[in-house]
Amino acid sequence: MSRNTQKWYDKPITKLILVSIAFTWIFPVFGFVLSSFRPGEAIKRESWWDAIYTGKLWTELTLANYSEIFFADNLDRSFYNSFAVTIPSTIIPITIAAFAAYAFAFMEFRGKEPLFLLVVASMIIPLQMSLIPLVQLFKSGVEIFGLPIIPALDINGTFVATWFAHSGFGLPLATFLLRDFMMSLPKSVIESAKIDGASNMTTFFKLVLPLSVAGIAAFATFQFLWVYNDFLVANVFLGVYKPENLVVTSHVSQLAVGAYGEAWHLRTSGAIISMIVPLTVFFSLQRFFIRGLIGGAVKG
Amino acid sequence: MKQQTQQEKLKSIGISMLALGFFPLIWFLFQAILFRELTEIISRNLLVVFALIIGSTFVFLLFLGMDKIIKLSPKENRESLEARMFAGPSLFMIALFLFYPAIRTFYISFKDRYSNDFIGFENYRWAFSDPEMLVTIRNQIIWLVFVVFFVLLIGLVVGWLSDRLNKGEAFFKSIVFMPMAISAVGASAIFKFIYEYRPPPLTQIGIINGIRVSVDRLGTQCMNNRIIDGVFNGFDNPNCLKPIGWLQQRDMSNLPFAQNLNPNGFVSSILVNLPINTMLLMVIMIWMFTGFAAVVFSAGIKAIPAEIMEAGQIDGASELRVFRSIVIPYIKSTIIVVGTYMVVTVLKAFDIIYVSTRGDLETNLLAVKMLDEFSKYRNFGRSATVAVLIFVCVLPIIVGTAIRERENTQS
Amino acid sequence: MKKPLLVSFLLLTLILGACGGGSLEGEEVTITGALIGTDQDGFRAAFEPFTEETGIIVSYQGSDNFEQEIQIQMESGDTPDFALWPQPGAVVDAANRGYLTPLADLDIDLDQYQNDFSSYLVGLGTVDGVIYGGANAANLKSIVWYQPAEFEARGYSVPSTWDEMIALADQIVADGMNPFCFGMYSNGASGWLATDWMEDIMLRTGNGVESYDQWVNHEIPFNDPIVKNAATLLSQIMHTDGYVVGGTDAIVSTYFGNAQDPMFSKDANGNPGCFMHRQASFITGFWPEGEKEGAGTITTVFPFPSIDSSLPAAALGGGDMWGAFNDRDATKAVAEYMLSAEFYNNVAIRPDNARLSAHTGFDTSLYAAPINKILGDTIAAALSANSFRFDASDLMPPEVGAGSFWKEMMNLAVEGPGYIDTALDTVEKSWP
Repeated sequence: MSRNTQKWYDKPITKLILVSIAFTWIFPVFGFVLSSFRPGEAIKRESWWDAIYTGKLWTELTLANYSEIFFADNLDRSFYNSFAVTIPSTIIPITIAAFAAYAFAFMEFRGKEPLFLLVVASMIIPLQMSLIPLVQLFKSGVEIFGLPIIPALDINGTFVATWFAHSGFGLPLATFLLRDFMMSLPKSVIESAKIDGASNMTTFFKLVLPLSVAGIAAFATFQFLWVYNDFLVANVFLGVYKPENLVVTSHVSQLAVGAYGEAWHLRTSGAIISMIVPLTVFFSLQRFFIRGLIGGAVKG
Repeated sequence: MKQQTQQEKLKSIGISMLALGFFPLIWFLFQAILFRELTEIISRNLLVVFALIIGSTFVFLLFLGMDKIIKLSPKENRESLEARMFAGPSLFMIALFLFYPAIRTFYISFKDRYSNDFIGFENYRWAFSDPEMLVTIRNQIIWLVFVVFFVLLIGLVVGWLSDRLNKGEAFFKSIVFMPMAISAVGASAIFKFIYEYRPPPLTQIGIINGIRVSVDRLGTQCMNNRIIDGVFNGFDNPNCLKPIGWLQQRDMSNLPFAQNLNPNGFVSSILVNLPINTMLLMVIMIWMFTGFAAVVFSAGIKAIPAEIMEAGQIDGASELRVFRSIVIPYIKSTIIVVGTYMVVTVLKAFDIIYVSTRGDLETNLLAVKMLDEFSKYRNFGRSATVAVLIFVCVLPIIVGTAIRERENTQS
Repeated sequence: MKKPLLVSFLLLTLILGACGGGSLEGEEVTITGALIGTDQDGFRAAFEPFTEETGIIVSYQGSDNFEQEIQIQMESGDTPDFALWPQPGAVVDAANRGYLTPLADLDIDLDQYQNDFSSYLVGLGTVDGVIYGGANAANLKSIVWYQPAEFEARGYSVPSTWDEMIALADQIVADGMNPFCFGMYSNGASGWLATDWMEDIMLRTGNGVESYDQWVNHEIPFNDPIVKNAATLLSQIMHTDGYVVGGTDAIVSTYFGNAQDPMFSKDANGNPGCFMHRQASFITGFWPEGEKEGAGTITTVFPFPSIDSSLPAAALGGGDMWGAFNDRDATKAVAEYMLSAEFYNNVAIRPDNARLSAHTGFDTSLYAAPINKILGDTIAAALSANSFRFDASDLMPPEVGAGSFWKEMMNLAVEGPGYIDTALDTVEKSWP
């Protein structure tokens, strides 16, 4: 009854509001994308909407901006680097967080509540604060009262340093989200499995993990986007002074900025090239992403 | 008998130390050293392949290894040991990577420029008296209030309305959701292109200024340097409006309507002093995060049982009324979760400011100020103090979450 | 039977000898800095002959986030071999904190170094008499860009004194046009263009170079009458009606890299948006593609006019300075190479290069761009005559030079001449 007896004015107004919001959201991207196909001089000579109006736009469209960035030296290497940083940096924190989330959701142990609050609290620590201690840790280890806890590793400049750093920064949110997600699973199922004598390892792998796929995929998307779009952590831990370690975001921003001044043709096409991978991942995993977020955040 | 329990206890302590301290450490070190050595000896392309394999699989070895060790322990302790094993690595990394640095920061905030001497609360006195810091704190508050409010509001509207569509719901949500995939750097570039300012005789390529200078006033033909039939039509006539550097406006004084306002009135003085640049930068963040809120809210609204909604509609309550008295209370907890997430995100907001204005002309935020003090002014004590301020702002949120958690577990 | 043995023995000694002599072969030296894009390409190219000769692989990678990253790297002890800073102040700061290796430990001939780069420039990278900074590139700021053809067509002549410049400006305003281009927005550094103007005026008023140095070292207060006079002159440019194209709005809002564009754009009557643009030599890198080739011919420079004719000519500039983080043999070799006159050869011949060597013995005829030859000669002459002065805001403490000074100049532009006293008092108060 509810859906088809709405008052006559409901629907058009609904549509109008939604269409105008959608338009507002897509509009900024429109001019930006258009400009990435225009020559640099044309962008400055004539605004893109005037170019559409006068019809000149269609004659000047070009792929040159894209090829200038896309075929820049070693951009392919930077793409590989980005994947080598991003994929383990997504898998490691998810695995660790999934185990922790299981413990916080279904197991009893001393200090559970305060420890979980600790996880929540750590979500707000700005990562910029951790950079120096972490670089130090990876370089020369940690000593407590003169006792070496972690020896000098000297791993800065290798991929493994970025994995650990990103894992550390991503863990709080991952643990928090996945625990929320697992809490929304039917508790009776897990309890009956325990009564049947299944070990926690078995319950985790055979029961909880398959049920949490959506939550895990949601966080995986989240973490992937964040790691892929980041350049600060990559620059610091891979070492900016090693050109062979550049990641895509950093590389593209240098190509686009390096041309100085008003290089809008490169800034637009560069930004779009660095968006390709995140957008692809996002739209292909969108369904999971949404379901996972909902599982975590929506509780009746 | 007692002797044996003692022995059992010792054994379990030994095993728990082995499983929780030693083993994660070994895993950490082994992975680090192995990879470091690999980096030295193998070729670049192979390295990337190895990186993907090692990075993606070793973490499972950690847990399987720990599990094997724990299986050796006496049965009665196993449950609690296992719990520690499950949660251990996560807590280990959070403590080492986040809490240890946080405590260190707190300590440094009481020290001087290069962390040599203690100077008491001097840095905090600075934080609340330095005019630039005060502006930064003001901005942070404006951001917190407006960004969180608008993200929740527009998110609710989109979530609520898109639910009423017969078709195209997914499409609308996708459009609003898409900016989530775009980095803050990319989003800032997109909006800078809209706000773009070029000095007057030049063609305006940002659409806001483009429209502004094309407005015909007093019958004067104003155009954005368009050539019509070989004749150049510009906006160099004094009757035409001049472009405005939007991200450089600290208040409304350049806008015609603000110039007619009485600067002494209470409301109008607030209006005149609205920082345009800060508001325009907030638009970027609202644009980025509204989709996230909308999608979560939409799911929450769908979860409302149909009977409740129908009951409201039969009563003849208006749409707005249903929304206010049924929908909002029903998804209250969802709103709180999204709101919490947004508050945290706004407090950590950094990239947008960093790449668009870098805090110039009173647009700074705490996270950027923290970095500026660190790298531009090279004052580590003050940088740490700003970081501590960010913490303090989030304290109420943590307390709130704690209370909510307690309620949840009790109910 | 004997011969092959002898041959192989000889070969062996040869190989050993070669190895002994070229023991640095294959060593890697890393450098980081703020140069990216074409500047980065140029800087990398500078090392090509060096690598060919010594076998040392020098890799440079710039970052637009350099300032922050190098701080993190220094604090954590994980640094490259060299960092190339855009301000000597940062080198001094790093040296003070004990991160840098003195040039003496790099086996640099210090007398030769001072002789090549002038004792003034060397002094900027010196802490308590120990030299830490290696001068590299320089730029010239005491110049005003203009287009001779536009001047000639209207019968304007190049001003050599401030009064002539003001008279010319009035003339242009009377002719219905705008004399100056002026834009000082710059993400995170807005206001530096106005501080440059102030510095150029300071060098030409009061006691010239002497009072400039006192001002930099805070031996005279920031609200001293000499400084106030400079601010008043600057305010005359910024706030006189019609002087700056677009007015004060444009001064505050225009990105410095776009500021010259009105000069290149003609209105319906064929008049350019402005006639004079006071900006540093590196600005050519920001010019629109089509205009870059005309640098030095179509668009060229006249020296910043003198104000007090009793003072000797002086040149304001800036430049890069490197610091070394260790004293490995390869590092020493690279340091020595970077201080040689030949270092810049491969950079100078690049047509898109906008950076100039700070080496006084550099052969300026190598510059591919005609404008660079003019500017390079000016810098070398000024350095030799000790009339070259470094950008004051880069030498002042960062709270002032990268903080209040910039900020108050922005405020001054917005608020108008009545704000001069407040601006100077605020900067004075912020001096640590």
